[in-house]
Amino acid sequence: METNKKIELAEQGSPEVPSLIKYISSNEVVGFDTGDAQLPSPSTKESELTSIERQGDEAVVINHQRKQSVSISMPLTCEEVLPHETNMVFFSDEAGREGVPISAVDADSKSPQQSKYYSQPMPKAYVHPTDSSPHGAEIPNHPGIRAFRDKRFDSFKTWSGTLERQISMLRGKSPRHTREEENNNNNNNNNVRNTERPVPVDRYFDALEGPELETLRSSEEILLPQDSKWPFLLRFPVSAIGICLGVSSQAILWKTLASSPSTEFLHLSLRINLVLWFISIALVITIFTTYLFKIILYFEAVRREYYHPIRVNFFFAPWIALLFLALGVPPSITKNLHHSLWYILMTPIFCLELKIYGQWMSGGQRRLSKVANPSNHLSVVGNFVGALLGATMGLKEGPIFFFAIGLAHYTVLFVTLYQRLPTNETLPKELHPVFFLFVAAPSVASMAWAKIQGSFDYGSRIAYFIAMFLYFSLAVRINFFRGFQFSLSWWAYTFPMTGAAIATIKYSNEITNVFTKTMCVILSIISTLVVTALVVTTMLRAFVFKDLFPNDIAIAISDRKRKPHHHHHHRKWFHLGHGTHDTKEIENYLKFVDSDKIDIEASTTLHPSNSTEDSSSPSI
Amino acid sequence: MAAQQGSRCEIELVIERTSTTQQNPRTNMRTIAQSSLLMSLNSLLTKFHAGYFRISLSLGGQALLWKTLSSVPTTDDKSNALRRVFHALHPTVFPILWSLALFILILLSLLYILRCLFFFKMVKAEFLHHVGVNYLFAPWISWLLLLESSPFMAPKTVPYLVLWWLFAVPVVMLDVKIYGQWFTKGKRFLSTVANPTSQMSVIGNLVGAQAAAHMGWKESAVCLFSLGMVHYLVLFVTLYQRLSGGDRLPVLLRPVFFLFFAAPGVASLAWESIVGSFDIASKMLFFLSLFLFTSLICRPTLFRRSMRRFNVAWWAYSFPVTMLALASTDYAQEVKGTISHILMLCLLALSFLICLSLTLFTFLNSKMLLPDNDPIANLVIQFPVAD
Repeated sequence: METNKKIELAEQGSPEVPSLIKYISSNEVVGFDTGDAQLPSPSTKESELTSIERQGDEAVVINHQRKQSVSISMPLTCEEVLPHETNMVFFSDEAGREGVPISAVDADSKSPQQSKYYSQPMPKAYVHPTDSSPHGAEIPNHPGIRAFRDKRFDSFKTWSGTLERQISMLRGKSPRHTREEENNNNNNNNNVRNTERPVPVDRYFDALEGPELETLRSSEEILLPQDSKWPFLLRFPVSAIGICLGVSSQAILWKTLASSPSTEFLHLSLRINLVLWFISIALVITIFTTYLFKIILYFEAVRREYYHPIRVNFFFAPWIALLFLALGVPPSITKNLHHSLWYILMTPIFCLELKIYGQWMSGGQRRLSKVANPSNHLSVVGNFVGALLGATMGLKEGPIFFFAIGLAHYTVLFVTLYQRLPTNETLPKELHPVFFLFVAAPSVASMAWAKIQGSFDYGSRIAYFIAMFLYFSLAVRINFFRGFQFSLSWWAYTFPMTGAAIATIKYSNEITNVFTKTMCVILSIISTLVVTALVVTTMLRAFVFKDLFPNDIAIAISDRKRKPHHHHHHRKWFHLGHGTHDTKEIENYLKFVDSDKIDIEASTTLHPSNSTEDSSSPSI
Repeated sequence: MAAQQGSRCEIELVIERTSTTQQNPRTNMRTIAQSSLLMSLNSLLTKFHAGYFRISLSLGGQALLWKTLSSVPTTDDKSNALRRVFHALHPTVFPILWSLALFILILLSLLYILRCLFFFKMVKAEFLHHVGVNYLFAPWISWLLLLESSPFMAPKTVPYLVLWWLFAVPVVMLDVKIYGQWFTKGKRFLSTVANPTSQMSVIGNLVGAQAAAHMGWKESAVCLFSLGMVHYLVLFVTLYQRLSGGDRLPVLLRPVFFLFFAAPGVASLAWESIVGSFDIASKMLFFLSLFLFTSLICRPTLFRRSMRRFNVAWWAYSFPVTMLALASTDYAQEVKGTISHILMLCLLALSFLICLSLTLFTFLNSKMLLPDNDPIANLVIQFPVAD
């Protein structure tokens, strides 16, 4: 197979990479000269590369050794990414954002390692093989192809980039070429299989730290280059959906303020609600579409977010946002919503719940005592919001169903979080805005129960007072909420405050006196101020500092811990690092030491509960 | 070791028979038969444990289900067809079912009494084991179920009352012992011993509460109900947290995970008996039970390893589903909607099917009913806990 590959490489002369290797065709590189000549000066750069490559053991076939193959790599900002042994990580930049990169380096014949050098935009393009290659390997020679792929991010793409190829095929690539590519990629994909393996939750705990498990520990390395800006979609976290939550809950607040008898003294008009509602709709559409693109194009990244113990809860956020939109719909648009809307919105929540709560109950590594964190409230609040909407629509049994489930699981979660078990690895040690999520569930539950029962009775009042207590115990500790880096997930933490304000308004409808009315006003003002502050901060970061979407480190953690020793001789050639990236390369290199470990981990992680069960039952 | 004895027994028997043909055959045969009987009885008693009461539990649940179905008023059009079929079958099937359940329960109880008499140490070891102790509730629950579903004893009569006391008092005594241990005793804290079978104790209280409510004794009913529910709350949270990770449950006992939705189902029925109608609290408990049921059947891999060979733990599937079906019957009667009726029919069908197939499996695999490597029996034998 290896010889075959070598031959392939040898004969291809195009940046076509053999199965183990991904390649980039320089043709696809925007700005590359698509002349058919070979690189006129393979001399300096190529020779460097070739020399480097020759150091590797075998199969160091580099395209550019051939006249026809070309890879341009500028040593200047070379960043080497060593793919994980079985994890081929190829980064490819989207559409020529940073110029053209790359050369595919082929992997070692023994293992699909690849490293890629990529450089700053190369002025000269290069080669493409003519059609004289025996395989008839088509190089993506077609000028029409714009999708040039920076292979660095390929592993995060859907089907490792094949989807993109399909899309580029639709754009007019030659079918023969794509078939060739497909073959190569199929071989590639066999080696990339381990990206299909679920990342064990312990990896996230080991590699990340911080209240939202976002910051990388200093001993860890990540799969994607840290000092370059990743593609936008890769930087778009699922917690951005929290923005929809924050804004749509504001719409509900202003609707309630305008239409409640106890706040009539404020003389607010429903127009505010209308405006806010339309803004929310626009936001929802934008953010959902963006995330949808991320799912389509970068499914691997979405998978990794799903396995992240904190981010998984944000997968409930889209549905909650839609529920909020339905709750906050201005009366001038419609007074009655159709019942089927409720069923449609609750089905995804129900399915997600079956999965997540089932994991709490029976999942060995994702059991609640280990992964409980305040963001889990998002998975519970959905039940109460659904119950509230259903009861508002007039449904009877469905709201009770979801209320019951929400109540049962909320009790479990509440007790677990209050316990702050020592086995719990995800609870932030210091106060963090995420703690405001504690207020969400009881306040929405009180409103839901009031709607189900018809009046704000004792059950609702109990829940309401619990919510108020939690709110105040957090508010008086406001001094401790310091020193945290702003992140988009903070938007999700604003809706509890809004929820508490709305619950207070409903409560004041029942018990009307000066005190409750004042509370309504104060809480509404606080929540509006917080949301405004967040809007300002978000705008600032988006347009002035331009770092609203930093590199999403949390999804790029490696599958294995970095090992301090190394014995891959085929990596030796990487030692010829370039300049400042030496240490980084070595670190990267050292990361992927033992390929066997992966399989062990795979076997243990796939059946964690089974193995523990076995060990605990002596007779079996 | 008991198994080996048993097998050795059989071998010896054969040899003896052939060698002692010259001597007086009749007396020898009789003694041989007697000794072999004793030996097999011994091995039976050593392998037998309280977990076998799952069978009587399931049958008792089925009997209760049939009784409830027959007593549901036939005012609803939707269920008319079902009712007609049912009423045709009922007069013949129900007494047979009840008698069968009674017979098996008597048999199992006798066996267990013998085991207490002759192998008291083993019973004690069972009591001290974190899984075995919970099944000590099973006989009493079975008796209570049979009492409730009896065709000839009306609830508000004296014999019913006497029998209720007879069965409920041991439940309360066991409660005091076990629940007290949960939060006081050094080695047997809840956090270390909690496992899904602990819900048997909760179910015991709840079934007792339901029987009491049928009798009209509201206060005892509420007392037992609150006992059961408060401990259920603690247990639910603890089990969901899964502090000890592996749960300390052998793989073969995975079917007991079905107890997760048995407890809220029985709670819903008990509350309905206390209040008199299927109100919102019962509905919420029923929905919780339904959700947990759905959650478990969506995870077949959880049970795959325990389904390889037949063992008595499979009977753990039947009782919870039967209770859920019962609750769904009451729910459908209350709500009278199409979906609730469909749900009720599905659950009823499932419950009958499971019970029937389990009976079939038991007959076909009767040898495996007392296997050599039964998890509980082995655990109790191999790890006899000191007094």
